[in-house]
Amino acid sequence: MLTLGQHRMRTCQGITRRELIQVGASSVLGLSAWNWFANSLHATPTKPAKSVLLLWLWGGPSHLDTWDPKPNAPAEFRGPFTTIPTRLPGIRFCELFPEIAKRTDQLAILRSLKTGHNDHGIAGTIGLTGSMAGGVGLGGSALPGSPRPTIGSTVARIKGFSGKLPPFLVVGGKLHQGKKAIVGEGGGPLGGLYDPFRLIYEPESGQTRIPALQLPADLTPDRLEDRAKLLTAFDRLSRTVDQLRSARVLDDYRTQALGMLTSPTARKAFDLSQEKSSVKERYGLTRFGQSCLLGRRLVENGVPFVQINWSDHVEAEEDSGDGGWDHHYRNFQIMQDRHAPWLDRALPALIDDLKERGLFDSTLVLVVGEFGRSPKINDKAGREHWEHCYSGLIFGGGIRGGQVIGSSTPRGEHVHDRPITPADLITTVQHAVGITSEQAQTLNVSLEGGQVIHELF
Amino acid sequence: MIGPFHLRPTGLMGIVAVLLLLMTTMVRGVASAPPIPATKRITSDGGFKQHLHFSPDGKRLLFTRIHKGKMGVWTLELATGMMKPLLIPDPNTPHFDAHFSPDGKSVIFVLDILHGTDGKLQINRCDADGKNSTVLIPHKAFEESPRWSPDGKRFAWVTTRDGNQEIYSANIKGQELRRLTNDNAMDNNPAWSPDGKKLAFSSSRYGNFDILSMNADGSEIQRLTNHPSVDMWPAWSPDGKQIAFTTNRDGNYEIYLMNADGSNPRNLTQHAASENYAAWSPDGRRLAFISTRHGGHDIYWIEFP
Repeated sequence: MLTLGQHRMRTCQGITRRELIQVGASSVLGLSAWNWFANSLHATPTKPAKSVLLLWLWGGPSHLDTWDPKPNAPAEFRGPFTTIPTRLPGIRFCELFPEIAKRTDQLAILRSLKTGHNDHGIAGTIGLTGSMAGGVGLGGSALPGSPRPTIGSTVARIKGFSGKLPPFLVVGGKLHQGKKAIVGEGGGPLGGLYDPFRLIYEPESGQTRIPALQLPADLTPDRLEDRAKLLTAFDRLSRTVDQLRSARVLDDYRTQALGMLTSPTARKAFDLSQEKSSVKERYGLTRFGQSCLLGRRLVENGVPFVQINWSDHVEAEEDSGDGGWDHHYRNFQIMQDRHAPWLDRALPALIDDLKERGLFDSTLVLVVGEFGRSPKINDKAGREHWEHCYSGLIFGGGIRGGQVIGSSTPRGEHVHDRPITPADLITTVQHAVGITSEQAQTLNVSLEGGQVIHELF
Repeated sequence: MIGPFHLRPTGLMGIVAVLLLLMTTMVRGVASAPPIPATKRITSDGGFKQHLHFSPDGKRLLFTRIHKGKMGVWTLELATGMMKPLLIPDPNTPHFDAHFSPDGKSVIFVLDILHGTDGKLQINRCDADGKNSTVLIPHKAFEESPRWSPDGKRFAWVTTRDGNQEIYSANIKGQELRRLTNDNAMDNNPAWSPDGKKLAFSSSRYGNFDILSMNADGSEIQRLTNHPSVDMWPAWSPDGKQIAFTTNRDGNYEIYLMNADGSNPRNLTQHAASENYAAWSPDGRRLAFISTRHGGHDIYWIEFP
């Protein structure tokens, strides 16, 4: 393993041709006849989405205090907030989101999401990969199986390095539970090559930082290029033929990375000072707001998959930034003071901006966390983790907005109809960007049980 | 026959009369809308801020700020515009929602001690220069929003020790605890009246957050607002006649002003941005608040003649 700045270059992550054949064969043989039949029914959309923006609300937002309020539930469930009408007849949102409510004709509201675990670490792995394999919970032990690739890596693998920027970028720090980074933000079996390239927006300076390309203090950009050549030459000496094949791709990646540092055109994409003040203010000068603006710029520059992490940590106060959605205590105070106004500013700005720039129909946007929060308010004016039912938003990218899919029980405790899992959501993203079931099977990125949410198309 | 349209004198007079009536109505409409007071921007860094409180001499502002990823209590020197963290040394754990003692010598605030992935809130007290932080109310439940009484002998705060948010008071040693509210709903955001006889607060007991008031011993609860929206963070004017508060009744957070009995609520800020956390200067001539009108969270104030 070689280290360039803070970016660790793995030299053996590519899979061999033999492994590829083995994986492909086992995937096909392991697929049930029904799954094969069901997947084959979903043809590639006529106009696949060019890009995906995943707005990851880390920590688990309360579905009752966002998109699935329960005004008729007892006070200890419904909470202190009232509801407001949306653009959809009979559909109401929590009163803290008036601007998003005005744009529901553009959105599909998923009210029947459910996941398999109530631990952030494992639910995070499920949410990003569609599988709990390899997930690590608070206790520290890993679940059986190797982690699946995160959806961004899958899209990156299919779309490839065709643009001027890497195909999978995460805006925000690594997702943590406590002091441990979670499993599931990487390429998994696709290899480290498809791990995300990370950008961090810093509100205080207004700058976008690229941790992987942070130079050691004594290393100038000129020296960096020399060093990169040396590393490349060194790497090539010790590889087998198959590994060399991978290494060439890795070199492409490295070239892209250096290009990001040295190319004025590429760096321009990260530079929010290129935007008018009025545009920046429209998104809100929070880290999340400006990260959404950065996300729009990346999509505009052809990046196929951008994940925007609301926070690095789940906790509301601990995070180095906007603070997560894990509101075991002070849920309502934090919602009304910070999280709701911030989201209700950034998301409408993103919707409007994508539309004004003609990017809305080609950009699929998902707004979701790893689970919901307990409908019954706890004794700390908060809500606990809740994996049995939660909500999310999805829009753009050619999907049909202005609809609610699924419903929850009267107190929001369980899915009432049309259960949707993270595997379904990820399979739907694959479908929306034009990944065929054959491609998914060949790459071994099909998810067991994952079904396309057909109502969206 | 179709030809040029001629007005009869009576018709012309009628139209003139209607126009005059319309103009009068419009003028009345303009005159009846409360004027928007002049607003001055005090900070421009844009970083998240909340929980404003003037020092008793009116020279400093206390506030919660998220800076470089850390939530802490900061002060703003109004003469110089200099902002700096309050606590010395930095406790390296989140702390927020601070309040000056009436003599200006001490500050009470919330300290969040992190345990694993959760936090434990307690109330601490320090000197006004940020030194000598000590525990005032240890974490029994989630303790927050400490507010010194005007005579400096007690303070009120919010605690979940009874299973939901209730308002308590204690003496300045953190002893002689008194439970002031007792309702299954949430009671929070306490604010003392300047004579110390009453507290305004937010409560969800009527289904959503409204502003209520009560005597300092918790008796005689009165509902001051009655609106199906969030009414929160009341701030009593120094002359005791008015209460400023935040409400989203117009669709976004605005600072409203009402008489202390809840009558005559009116929108003071009238801006499309979010305005929150009203705080009066000790002389009552300024009402500071946090606004997002320039995208970030900055301190502004309204000056009253």
